[in-house]
Amino acid sequence: MTRTLRESGILWARQMKKLVRIPLLLFFALAQPLIFLLLFSQVFSNLDRLPGFGYDSYLQFLVPSIVALTALNSAFQSGIGMVADIESGMLDKFLIAPIRRSSILFGKLFADATRSAAQATVIVLVSLLMGARFATGVAGVAAMIVLAALFGIAWAGLSNIIALRTGNGELTMIVGILITFPVLFLSTAFMPSILLPEWLDTVARFNPITYIVEALRALVNTGWDWTAIAQALGVTGGLAVVTFTGATLAFRKAIE
Amino acid sequence: MALIQVDQLVKVYPGGVRAVDDISFVVEEGEIFGFLGPNGAGKTTTIRVIVTLLEPTSGRVTVDGIDVVADPEPVRRRVGYAAQFIGVDDDLTAMENLVMQGRLHGLEPREAERRSHELLEVLQLVEVAGRRAGTFSGGMRRRLDLGQALVHGPRVLFLDEPTTGLDPQTRRALWEYLRELNSRGVTIFLTTQYLEEADALATRLAIIDQGVIAIEGTPAVLKRGLGGDAITVTLPGDAGTDATEQAARVLERFSDTGEASRFERSARVFTAEAASRLAEVVRALDGASVKVARLEVSEPTLDDVFLRHTGSRMRVEESKPPSRLRMFGRQR
Repeated sequence: MTRTLRESGILWARQMKKLVRIPLLLFFALAQPLIFLLLFSQVFSNLDRLPGFGYDSYLQFLVPSIVALTALNSAFQSGIGMVADIESGMLDKFLIAPIRRSSILFGKLFADATRSAAQATVIVLVSLLMGARFATGVAGVAAMIVLAALFGIAWAGLSNIIALRTGNGELTMIVGILITFPVLFLSTAFMPSILLPEWLDTVARFNPITYIVEALRALVNTGWDWTAIAQALGVTGGLAVVTFTGATLAFRKAIE
Repeated sequence: MALIQVDQLVKVYPGGVRAVDDISFVVEEGEIFGFLGPNGAGKTTTIRVIVTLLEPTSGRVTVDGIDVVADPEPVRRRVGYAAQFIGVDDDLTAMENLVMQGRLHGLEPREAERRSHELLEVLQLVEVAGRRAGTFSGGMRRRLDLGQALVHGPRVLFLDEPTTGLDPQTRRALWEYLRELNSRGVTIFLTTQYLEEADALATRLAIIDQGVIAIEGTPAVLKRGLGGDAITVTLPGDAGTDATEQAARVLERFSDTGEASRFERSARVFTAEAASRLAEVVRALDGASVKVARLEVSEPTLDDVFLRHTGSRMRVEESKPPSRLRMFGRQR
């Protein structure tokens, strides 16, 4: 345990150095969520007049969705980083060091989670400046960031599968965007469940993003909704099992 | 006991490519062992199995008596590996790259820093220690990569085509450093497609071609095995294959084994006391009415050894790295 911590800590520290040194790595996944936050909150600001909307403002409604979107984007950075490490020969260097294979994985996960949390923090700060209010205070914001980061890790498994199968950073990014958009719009991220067309509402019920967004939304607007949080964690766990199994298989195939 | 023992190693990649086909050899402690062969011969595959990056299909490989498949960790502690395509983190400084490798090999922070500093000095990178590796020239990156392979003080250093793409000056400086390293007790396992490099460095070498070891021995013994110096007859520009064939037949009379090599417009034979038999050769060629453009006597080279044992000339290719993901674990 201490050994895994020590080893993955070295690899985590490497990623942190890169993150600080190349700020683009931090803002790469943030550009699109920030634009969405600024534009959507204005364009759709009158939606709160719709009967049944149920939130104080569209901004209050939107902030959790943008945090979730940031986690999705951040997750796709993980796969791109994996391709970069393979291409640069760094992964070989880690594989030949007398460290556990699991330390390589954990180091990457911790680093992904840290970056994702930092990105979510930026979104929270910008929304505060825009006038958003958080019902559960600092503790709620922290919980929101942790939930988003955990979900990001689970989603990162998917991006690593694509990255390892295609071996191409650009392609991973494009596929990531192609997946992110439908997944996001086919959830309750931008429209409350009761205002969605019936078929879409049904689809949204089977969409993992819906559960994450709803848990975050409760934290921002109403309070500690433990049912929603439990559901979000359950969905994240289930998703992680699937994507990590796939990513492990893809990894084995790639190094075979 | 041998430091590295490779026993009936076979590696077949998914898709059926037989990269290494039943090879066996040993490397003794203190040697500079040259592994010589053209691109795609199986050199890299063999190294990657020994350094635990690739699982063999069958066969047994040990380093210092430890099985590389059953017990990879202690093997990783004993080996350093500088791959053909350099692996440095461009966003980290030279120092940070080295310290990280040292830490991953279990060195305490202070010890990792001390070792890194020492290596930066030896590799003449001390002035750029704090600069990001991304700003380095090819030669500097190669030296840094070598440093990474050495930071934990390995017993045996694996170098996969360490001088491919380096200018002659840097190449010679690297040779010098490798000799010095070897004199301090580090065993070196080196692959190369440059025959002169193998000749200059290796205390013993094996020639591998198409996944099979063609021959092994010290460079001097291998050359002596050709049976003497080379006599090469070169024909004029308008000579056809018939003339070449005729010249080769004449030369065969002077070979102990009755063999002569045929090239485009030239033929070569190895014979003892080549210089003193030159007059005879001239008379014989004249007698057979072979028009000669040039006649020369030379010492045998490793190229000749290669040709004799593989049936083809060494083809040097400056390969561009293909996508690393395809290569990853898959290179031969």
